[in-house]
Amino acid sequence: MAKKEYDTFVLTDLALVAEDKETEMIVRDLMPADRRYKYRSAYVFGMVSKDESKYPDRLWVRLGRGQLQEKPWSIKVIKEVNKIPEG
Amino acid sequence: MPYPVFKDNREFINALKANNDLVTIEQEVDWDLEMGAIVRRVCERKSASPYFKKIRDYPGFEALGAPLATYKRLAIAMGMKPDAFVPEISNEYVKRTTGDPIKSILLDKKKAPCKENIWTGKDADLFKLPGPMVHDGDGGRYLATWHFVVSKDLETQAVNWGMYRQMVFDEKTMVGPVLPFSDMGKMFYGKYVPKNKPMPFATVIGCDPLAGVAACAPSPIPEDEFTGMLMGAPVELVKCETCDLEVPAHAEIIIEGEVIPNLLIEEAPFGEYTGYRTSPREPRTVYRIKAITFRNNPILTVSNMGVPTDEGQLLRSFSLGLEMRKLLESQGIPITGVFMLPESTHHMVVVGVKPIYSNIASQIANLVFGSKLSPWFHMVIVVDEETDIYNKDDVIHALATKCHPIRGIRKYEQSVGTPLYPFADPEDRKWSRGAQILFDCTFPLHWPKSDLPIKVSFNNVYPKEIQEKVLQNWKNYGFKD
Ligand SMILES: Cc1cc2nc3c(=O)[nH]c(=O)nc-3n(C[C@H](O)[C@H](O)[C@H](O)COP(=O)(O)O)c2cc1C
Repeated sequence: MAKKEYDTFVLTDLALVAEDKETEMIVRDLMPADRRYKYRSAYVFGMVSKDESKYPDRLWVRLGRGQLQEKPWSIKVIKEVNKIPEG
Repeated sequence: MPYPVFKDNREFINALKANNDLVTIEQEVDWDLEMGAIVRRVCERKSASPYFKKIRDYPGFEALGAPLATYKRLAIAMGMKPDAFVPEISNEYVKRTTGDPIKSILLDKKKAPCKENIWTGKDADLFKLPGPMVHDGDGGRYLATWHFVVSKDLETQAVNWGMYRQMVFDEKTMVGPVLPFSDMGKMFYGKYVPKNKPMPFATVIGCDPLAGVAACAPSPIPEDEFTGMLMGAPVELVKCETCDLEVPAHAEIIIEGEVIPNLLIEEAPFGEYTGYRTSPREPRTVYRIKAITFRNNPILTVSNMGVPTDEGQLLRSFSLGLEMRKLLESQGIPITGVFMLPESTHHMVVVGVKPIYSNIASQIANLVFGSKLSPWFHMVIVVDEETDIYNKDDVIHALATKCHPIRGIRKYEQSVGTPLYPFADPEDRKWSRGAQILFDCTFPLHWPKSDLPIKVSFNNVYPKEIQEKVLQNWKNYGFKD
């Protein structure tokens, strides 16, 4: 299956991001099946690595003011978490 | 009707076209950055409004970019001559908005175009609307960049329309900053949140042009009545589908839902009106949606905040300056005018005054810095009648020559600010803390008359008859201008 692509905003020092550990984070879907859903955000549990080839999907990293980092990381999304109560 | 009124955005689009101030783009444009880039360039070049007829992935939807980013478009929206000068538009605004408020009227739903299509339940999905990715690096797609949010006070039932940006998070969720000192901030964080009550809201996109002007104006008059005053006719409203709020019947798109108490979700970064991405990505106010209603072939309005001049800068400067003028006049201060420079991203205001008593500049600064308007600007320049407040060259000349670098400058510390100030420390941005400054460009009254510098200009140092002679002969001398 083709790689999926996500991005995330890292607001702390990049060196402090825990690798290979289940972490809750917000990711944006950059390659949805229906293009209208591009940039949909979701809270997920996932594992990330700064090694681009370690996990199945690609994760682009942006800093707090949107600065895109040159080298992508990789991510395994374990599940989406719904944090928002149903209206 | 005393002047032409556009009851909706479509009539306004026709007026822009008739005034050669519209570029209709038939070619398909991508909502993902391309549309934003076009609007950005339009703002930077002060070009005509782009009217996007075909948006990638969203057949049937259209968009209008930079709807009010120039004084020409503001004049057209006010039903004035397109080439009206800023002081004329300003006087007209003050005149129309100092009379009696004009109450809105309620239309039957059957007569309201914004009810032509109604999506509820699973159909009410924000990704079915062509929210643009406005700038590369933004935290998400901003569906609401030129719009307003309607809400009602829990205790007084007072209605507020305010422009508070909204980023699409997922199908049902938008997030955005509602600053604590804004009317909706005081309503929601002061009244609903302590009771853990969701607050009904309705986002209005593609309203008539003057409702947009009213929604971002810092006036104490309820914004629907204020719109009526600007129009010279009552606004036509209609009831929402899922709550008891009312929205303009002729708007293009309405998004209804609830603002959720005690839940915050990360929003931003976003290219902001200061011309930077400044305010941090941080947990902000959450809007959950319940219904979307819209006109056939709805036309989204798209603003693009960035370096000058976008409509946020232009209209906020315009209305902040004029509400300041009303405040100073109501206090009997002998001002000659107030002009806030849009190029300053509404950070700098010039106040013209007759300096008939000492320290009048301080009195002006104390009043405006002490008012509700103050978090949004931090530089006040006070000039005397010699300076044309609308002429940037003249203002810079006064600032550089008449303002004493120590005596003429007064600093105000510990003010209310916004998280958007690029110069503010990150911690100050987080807590909406600011600082302000007065530049007093009036000469002290106690100086002997003989010591007063005399302005050396054509108008000031030649006798009237010489001026007239030179003006009459100007072309004869060979000048072309
Ligand atoms: C395009 C645009 C976007 C704005 N976004 C926000 C926002 O996200 N949050 C906010 O508190 N104010 C925002 N403002 C400023 C308010 O619209 C402004 O303060 C307005 O007067 C609302 O008035 P009120 O809160 O006094 O009713 C924005 C203004 C413009 C022109």
